[in-house]
Amino acid sequence: MSPMKLCVPGDKLCSTDDCRPGTGVYMRHGYIYSSLAGYVLRKNEGEELPVISVVRETETQLLPDVGAIVTCKVTSINPRFAKVHILYVGSTPLKDRFRGTIRKEDVRATEKDKVETYKSFRPGDIVLAKVVSFHLLMEQLIFWLFTLDLPAQISLGDVQSNYLLTTAENELGVVVAHSEAGAQMVPVSWCEMQCPRTHTKEFRKVARVQPEYLHA
Amino acid sequence: MPTDTKRVRGPEVSQSLSRFVCKPETTLPSDGTRTDGRSRDQVDVRPVFVRCGLVSQAKGSAYIEAGNTKLICCVYGPKETERKDETDMKCGRLFADMRFAPFSCPERGSWIQGSHEKDLSLMVLESLQPAVCLHKYPRSQIDINVMVLENNGSALAHAITCASLALADAGIEMYDLVLGCSIRQDGASYLIDPTFLEESGSCWGSGENQGSLTVSFLPSLNQISGLQSDGEMGEGTLTAGVRTCIEGCYKLYPVIQQALVKAVRGAAPPPSES
Repeated sequence: MSPMKLCVPGDKLCSTDDCRPGTGVYMRHGYIYSSLAGYVLRKNEGEELPVISVVRETETQLLPDVGAIVTCKVTSINPRFAKVHILYVGSTPLKDRFRGTIRKEDVRATEKDKVETYKSFRPGDIVLAKVVSFHLLMEQLIFWLFTLDLPAQISLGDVQSNYLLTTAENELGVVVAHSEAGAQMVPVSWCEMQCPRTHTKEFRKVARVQPEYLHA
Repeated sequence: MPTDTKRVRGPEVSQSLSRFVCKPETTLPSDGTRTDGRSRDQVDVRPVFVRCGLVSQAKGSAYIEAGNTKLICCVYGPKETERKDETDMKCGRLFADMRFAPFSCPERGSWIQGSHEKDLSLMVLESLQPAVCLHKYPRSQIDINVMVLENNGSALAHAITCASLALADAGIEMYDLVLGCSIRQDGASYLIDPTFLEESGSCWGSGENQGSLTVSFLPSLNQISGLQSDGEMGEGTLTAGVRTCIEGCYKLYPVIQQALVKAVRGAAPPPSES
């Protein structure tokens, strides 16, 4: 096997007639240049031009993208929303924690106005959520602000720069939670979890995890 | 007023340490040659030693040595941006910080960043910003910290090179590497990659064309991303100086490329062909 070619940022790899650009490269004036220091990979797709990309072994910093399923930990709750730290994107752990918000009306799909965040999440819960958007458009923001009384603690800057998450699906919601006694709770229904030690039930918005992901 | 009993006070009569220290050369040789054997008016940059990936805690790091000038740079990020008052979140931000260690210059400095260091940090930021693909890192910030361990001339130029190497080592997408080079114009002749003495020597002639110039250059794209000049130079001299610096950058390019390649190869084996 011929040794893989290494390249540094700015190296001219080939022209756009020979290959299509993949990850870690950029196009300029009809040529493909590398944008990373790494190994050049040329993949043959079949009927189209081969895809050229530059890879490094260190995991690429994955940023939560719109529509991605993320695993996060609840840090604080508020009658309007819950603040979370995003820990995993899909199954890759993030090196730095990003912050996200789950608004009251994004907690579940039905009866959005009757949701109480205290009965859906608690600080310390691990939640599966989906990224909605990270850039609230001005019109959406103004509309959203008019639909609820603006509380003093929300600042515009705060809202705009967080990742907005939603758990409004059956498969999204709390996966791991600890009861007030400290034991890990077992889900009983879509809105309740029970502590195995004290047998008290607590309200949470529980995720319906697919059976194949549950350990026996 | 209560006496201070906790502090150890020195002797009543004391003399400054600097009277006993043998002073290094403060004057340049009078015949115009350079102290380290390089020649004037030629693109004779100091040989460089570069290594990447030294600091394990940082995402990427680089160490550069040119003559006695030693710099280390660490890159952290991309991480979530702390500033929440930005309305445009479509691209990331770069933060550059350049500091001189107190032991780096002949005169002991302080740990607190002075205005000169802030100026240099801004210059590093300005030089690197066009090279990084910031649109690929929305709402994130990348921190670059350069520390000068020993300053023997053209610290800024080497800081820019070191910072771009550290960025490449961190796996941050860039359009091209940024290389820095500086010259000192002395009348009709120039000195490339000046040492500390040559940069700040007090025995300079007072004629025309006395100044220094630092250029940061993107070799593959053939673009200049930063230019800083001090002193008074004619237009022709300045343009010639810029061209000389670009030549100096091209001389550095293969060494930098090799160092990066070595770092990538050492970091991980090549991925298997799928």
